[in-house]
Amino acid sequence: MLPFIIGGLVTGSLYGLSGLGLVLTYRTSGVFNFAHGAIAAAAAFFFYALHDQHNVPWPIAGLVVIAVFSVGVGFVMEWLTRSLGDAPAAVVVVVTIGLFLLVDGAISVSVHDVVRSLPPFLPQTGFTVSDYLISWEDIIIALTALVGAASLYVFLRVTRIGVAMRAVVDNATLVRLTGEPPARIRRTAWSIGCGFAAVSGILLARSQGLDVTQLTFLVVQAFGACAIGRFSSLPMTYVGGLIVGVVAALSQDWFSNPPFSQLSEAVPFLVLIVVLLAVPTRWLPRGNLAFRGLVSNAAELSRRGGAVIVGGLAIILVLVPQVAGSHLPEWISAESNFVIFGSLALLIWTSGQISLCQMSFAALGATTMAHMAGHGVPWPLALLIAGLLTVPVGALIAVPAIRLSGIYLALVTLGFGIVMQFVFYPTFLMFGSGTSALSVKRPTLGPFTGSDKSTYYVSLIVIALVCVALVAIHRSRFGRLLRAMSESPMMLTTLGLDVNVTRLMVFCLSAFFAGIGGALVITQFPVGTTVFMPIQSLVLVAVLAICAIVGTRLLLTAGLAALLMSVLPGYVTSFNTDDQTLSFGIAAVVCGLVLANQDRLTAWLRAQGIAKGDRLAHSPVSSRSAADEFVSVVSR
Amino acid sequence: MSTGLQTTALLVSYGGNVAVSEATLHAPLGRITGLIGPNGAGKTTTFNACNGLVKPVSGRVLLDGREVTGMGTAMRARLGMGRTFQQVQVCSGMTVRANVALGAEVTLIGRNPLRQFTGGREQRRQVAQRTQQALEDCGIPHLADTPASILSTGQRRLLELARVLAGGYSMLLLDEPSSGLDEEETARFGEILTRVVDERGVGILLVEHDMTLVMAVCTYIYVLDFGSMIFEGTPAETRSSPEVRAAYLGEDEGLPAKAGAPR
Repeated sequence: MLPFIIGGLVTGSLYGLSGLGLVLTYRTSGVFNFAHGAIAAAAAFFFYALHDQHNVPWPIAGLVVIAVFSVGVGFVMEWLTRSLGDAPAAVVVVVTIGLFLLVDGAISVSVHDVVRSLPPFLPQTGFTVSDYLISWEDIIIALTALVGAASLYVFLRVTRIGVAMRAVVDNATLVRLTGEPPARIRRTAWSIGCGFAAVSGILLARSQGLDVTQLTFLVVQAFGACAIGRFSSLPMTYVGGLIVGVVAALSQDWFSNPPFSQLSEAVPFLVLIVVLLAVPTRWLPRGNLAFRGLVSNAAELSRRGGAVIVGGLAIILVLVPQVAGSHLPEWISAESNFVIFGSLALLIWTSGQISLCQMSFAALGATTMAHMAGHGVPWPLALLIAGLLTVPVGALIAVPAIRLSGIYLALVTLGFGIVMQFVFYPTFLMFGSGTSALSVKRPTLGPFTGSDKSTYYVSLIVIALVCVALVAIHRSRFGRLLRAMSESPMMLTTLGLDVNVTRLMVFCLSAFFAGIGGALVITQFPVGTTVFMPIQSLVLVAVLAICAIVGTRLLLTAGLAALLMSVLPGYVTSFNTDDQTLSFGIAAVVCGLVLANQDRLTAWLRAQGIAKGDRLAHSPVSSRSAADEFVSVVSR
Repeated sequence: MSTGLQTTALLVSYGGNVAVSEATLHAPLGRITGLIGPNGAGKTTTFNACNGLVKPVSGRVLLDGREVTGMGTAMRARLGMGRTFQQVQVCSGMTVRANVALGAEVTLIGRNPLRQFTGGREQRRQVAQRTQQALEDCGIPHLADTPASILSTGQRRLLELARVLAGGYSMLLLDEPSSGLDEEETARFGEILTRVVDERGVGILLVEHDMTLVMAVCTYIYVLDFGSMIFEGTPAETRSSPEVRAAYLGEDEGLPAKAGAPR
């Protein structure tokens, strides 16, 4: 057990260090940086390039990397978050997720075999304690983290700007009253944050390997630490990192047999989920976290206009297989993606909630479908059951949604997705511990032969039904309640509505559609777990947000997102997954910035004589007053 | 007399700072009761304690003689307490009619979760009828199909009033409904309030800065200062009360027509 505790303390101190950077930047700038781990990963690869590929001695390489990240990247991050202004929290989440994807994609594109090991550069010798070798490397790593944390502590207590920063962390609204220029405080915070990320990235890469995904998700390891520090206490965040590290290491010792062998990886997220569910919400800092709903100001279509559009689209979609040729498979996966995007758009655009685990819902639907069909359940019935069995999981996610909003809901759902991946995906209920892909026999009946073309039409029937259902929901009383809820849940409560019931039901519905979407995915092509990885849920949100530039009509956005995600890359040759991640990341950051600054942008365009309308065509507007009122009611 | 809204010795504090202490008031049905006081006196806090958005440390809230102190906001609304907000809450993505209809729809849903999806033909008829009636009572039927996002502040205030009227609540809490309105709009708003009370027999508790409106429509007035009730009485008594003057103006003379700038 001792080796596990020591190993846990070493890794845990690095979680703590990166957690400190995360909390510091979050509290001073109000932006929770989902890309924190991506920054750490970038630093590790940069160090690798300098030290191992260009033979720069490690102390110099380390110093260069830390300098570049704390000054350069810190500066960029400060600029980026400042440009977001008081954008709706959804936009902020999208931008940092975009950044996450951007960095992840950029590393993957530039370093082709992304899993390497960072050769040791610190002394491997050491001393033995009860037959266990404690290397100097371990000691140095733990000491580095401790010194980093301690010097931050001293810095915050002794220097003038540090004291100002601490005041800001305690109470973010004080930033304007400290007399220190807020920009300087934020820039310092981002420098420290990015510097800490760089250090922990390099040192973690030593023990965890240069695995881009693993390092990128380091951020979520630090989430557990931040949660223990209640996203505000810096010393507790460091201690939280140690706790997470030790518990994860111990669970590696205790649960070493499949299917729970990956449980230790899920520990930080379990900690995160438990803390966020157990801690009273008033203990969590508010900052600018109230999820300002993004409100679609698109007018409802007239009956005739709607009919023309629907008819036209239907004809085009029926004709697609005749013209798609070898690209038909892309169109087919666009169909299943459309359903998943629809389920997500219902949550994000219609009801103002957020889910970063939509792919986990889909995975549940897919595996249920595979098991049902494997037991000879007729295809349409299996599809329905796949959707229905996902509903209870949606209801489970609604529990945090009732307590939390904004960034914390995003965190819990992301954590849930990762727990699903490590704990439930390997069980026999889902994908099993094997690595082989699951598949479902394509439905054959009458004209449907099971060919690609027939699968396209079967899927088309399903998405037609889903569209009808979504439109019916959108136009029903429930749809109006959802739209009202996205703007002002408090107002609905004062009218006498149990908004929690509404939240519960919208999560159930969304999970249902996501389950159907997943079932459709697996019907079309055999798939393994890769399609349903948590990072894919982030890609979904990013792509959906990119399409919000055009408008937030439920079906239009979902359709565009499906085309962008599945069809477009197929037609752009030499466009692999990494390029996709990179370009979706860039596009999400740009679109987020555009959404955040659309008032300024519109003014500029109008000054150039380009735009005539009073806004960019029905892009979402933020319902600022509603959120402000809510905050003022609660905090007064 | 136990109809309408009653609070007894209400005490609300935020992190040890007492915002409202010993607030006792009674706003019966069938008349308009005013709650006035300088900025920061605790008017909105009292309001929020009445409808459950904040929890009082001690004291009781009664609605039509029934204790509601421990109930949630939604439950109180279902028992007949509606409110509007100082910062207007309208759904900018919807038309005025859809906004107003929310009041009727939510009250018809009650506690039945399935009713959130649809209420059937009968409820649809009721919603349409109550919405139309409320729009007419507030004098905004011509705006029914306008998107709420392009309304002026005055029109938004009327929309909020129409929404609670469509909800059919017996007790209405209106939080500074005249802020942001010009004199003419304020006068018209006052007329609408008086007429609504006469026709529907509802009770109104009005938090207000605009003295002209308060004096014109209220039959009884409570004055709050630094979280305590310093005076209660008829408009005439309030106008001549030295304590009230002192609270508003320090030790100066005469109440101005508009105390407090519109926000």
